[in-house]
Amino acid sequence: MSDAAPILQATGLHKSYLSGERRLHVLRGVELAVAAGESVSIRGESGSGKSTLLNLLSGLDAPDAGELRWEGETTLPAARRGRLIGLVFQSFYLVPELDALDNVLLAARLLGPIGPAERARAAELLGRVGLAERAGHVPAKLSGGERQRVAIARALMNRPKLILADEPTGNLDEGSGEAVIDLLLALCAESGCALVLVTHNAAHAARCARRLFLREGGFHSD
Amino acid sequence: MPWPLYLALKQLFPTGRRFPFFTFISILGVTLGVALLIVSISVMGGFGREIRNMIVNTQGEVQVRATGLMDDPRAVMAAIETVPGVVATTPFAEGVVMLQHENKPAFPAIQGVDATRVDRVIPLRKFVVAGDYDALDDDRVILSAQLAMTIGARLGSKVSVYSPLLLEKLKADEILIPRELEVCGIFEIGHQQLDSSVVIVTLRTMQELYGLGRSVHGVNVKLADGVDPDRAAAAINRALPGDGVAKTWMDANEEFLFVLQLEKNMIFFLLLFIIVVAAFSVASSLLIAVVRKTREIGLLGALGATPGQVAACFCYQGVIIGVAGTASGLALGFTVVHFRNDLVAGFTRLTGSQAALERFYQFSQLPAYLSGTDLALIVASALVVSTLAGLLPAWRAAKLKPVEALRSE
Repeated sequence: MSDAAPILQATGLHKSYLSGERRLHVLRGVELAVAAGESVSIRGESGSGKSTLLNLLSGLDAPDAGELRWEGETTLPAARRGRLIGLVFQSFYLVPELDALDNVLLAARLLGPIGPAERARAAELLGRVGLAERAGHVPAKLSGGERQRVAIARALMNRPKLILADEPTGNLDEGSGEAVIDLLLALCAESGCALVLVTHNAAHAARCARRLFLREGGFHSD
Repeated sequence: MPWPLYLALKQLFPTGRRFPFFTFISILGVTLGVALLIVSISVMGGFGREIRNMIVNTQGEVQVRATGLMDDPRAVMAAIETVPGVVATTPFAEGVVMLQHENKPAFPAIQGVDATRVDRVIPLRKFVVAGDYDALDDDRVILSAQLAMTIGARLGSKVSVYSPLLLEKLKADEILIPRELEVCGIFEIGHQQLDSSVVIVTLRTMQELYGLGRSVHGVNVKLADGVDPDRAAAAINRALPGDGVAKTWMDANEEFLFVLQLEKNMIFFLLLFIIVVAAFSVASSLLIAVVRKTREIGLLGALGATPGQVAACFCYQGVIIGVAGTASGLALGFTVVHFRNDLVAGFTRLTGSQAALERFYQFSQLPAYLSGTDLALIVASALVVSTLAGLLPAWRAAKLKPVEALRSE
């Protein structure tokens, strides 16, 4: 781990779900600290709790026990989450009624009025992910890889300090997946934001500075 | 622009796509409801206005009637004319007679008017479509147009008038000699009932026919523009020397106007249900959209949207549908109102029902009038109902937790 102050610190996270009459303990005392600019990969079997952990780290869900701190704060209101964290999902979650540029801009719109500066940044980000020519295309007109690149641009729109990516290549072919990971790592490095990458793919995980394996509710070195 | 409004607009009118079917149908429902309300309430308002004009044009804005006979109409008129806001007065006597021309009888209402004064209160002159109003004297009569046609009388024709007084003479075995009057004019007010059953004679002729002496039945009063008839009637009542009672045209026709208003209200509420049904359709479509867009709603929450903002996005969709539907409904409604008579003429030509329409509705042209209050009520109702249609989907969307919404299949 780098010496920089942690952007994200998780201490003793527990999370369980009721499955019928059984309680499944998915996370059992997970500890994690992510420093600014650091890249961390999390691998694990299906059902090992990777996505559950990511939901906790993004503040979308609350742990049963344990503590989360984002830049030292224990609370993460929606607007602050929008500024601090960029989210990339396996299923892209682009708004089908908006074109690529407006999908990128949406992240900024949700936090306040947008102006020429935001439009310029969205256009620049689309250029960085190689979709400048397709800014006016709606998601239905884009390939899977292109959609995920739009989603990455959207995640970076508000200059977050942390990107949480949940299986970003899960719905892509190998070539597109490689391109997306290249782009994600390059843009995070370029903008100095930390990256937590949840993936099944060992090769993708290996490209992160720190690699963790989630098994039986806790981390093991990968 | 707030993003919930922006996203609501984008969801209703997506980038790069044609006018979506859901949006079209939703707006169309509200459009039809508003247009029907505009047309129906305008026509009802038009009938009301025609009736108001007809009453005022034939009775004046205020009418003073004695319980029995008004023996000294000059004193009454002098007293009335002292009231501020009163412009003119004219006495009248009225009744029913039997009229005969070439063996064709009719039983019209008869109005005796003071030919020297009546024109200041009731614009009879403008309704005379044939003959000469100024030729009216004690030996002449003005007939309503339909009545003249029914009995086959023309200008210059002699008609025989039998009054109830002659029947009294008949009982006493006296010789029955009807009053012979020459037709000097034909009038047409535009109201089928009045145009088919009224004759106008001089006050003196009427007094002779009914044996009234110098008495009359009442006095019609003309008010200055902008004078409140209720206040004027109250002031006249205070100024009256005898036992007469002044009533405004509204008081005198209270029951009729009440029925008219009741019909208008009923039509409003019945047609409002078209908008309510359209709103249910909008609510149902938006609820489906909430289910279909569950993961997008989750995404909005994940990106920093609050539940209130997510709710506003769906609420705005109801408002936008309401605004667009109301605007297009107003345009459609006013267009139909503008061309109403052409449409009715076309319809009656196709069905051959022109005469029946005139006979039944008593107006040759379909009137229309929409007050500002009625317009505001229609617009407000459409907007409120459409906005309410967006509330349930908005509430459902706001209740979704981002993490669960993103997990949904």
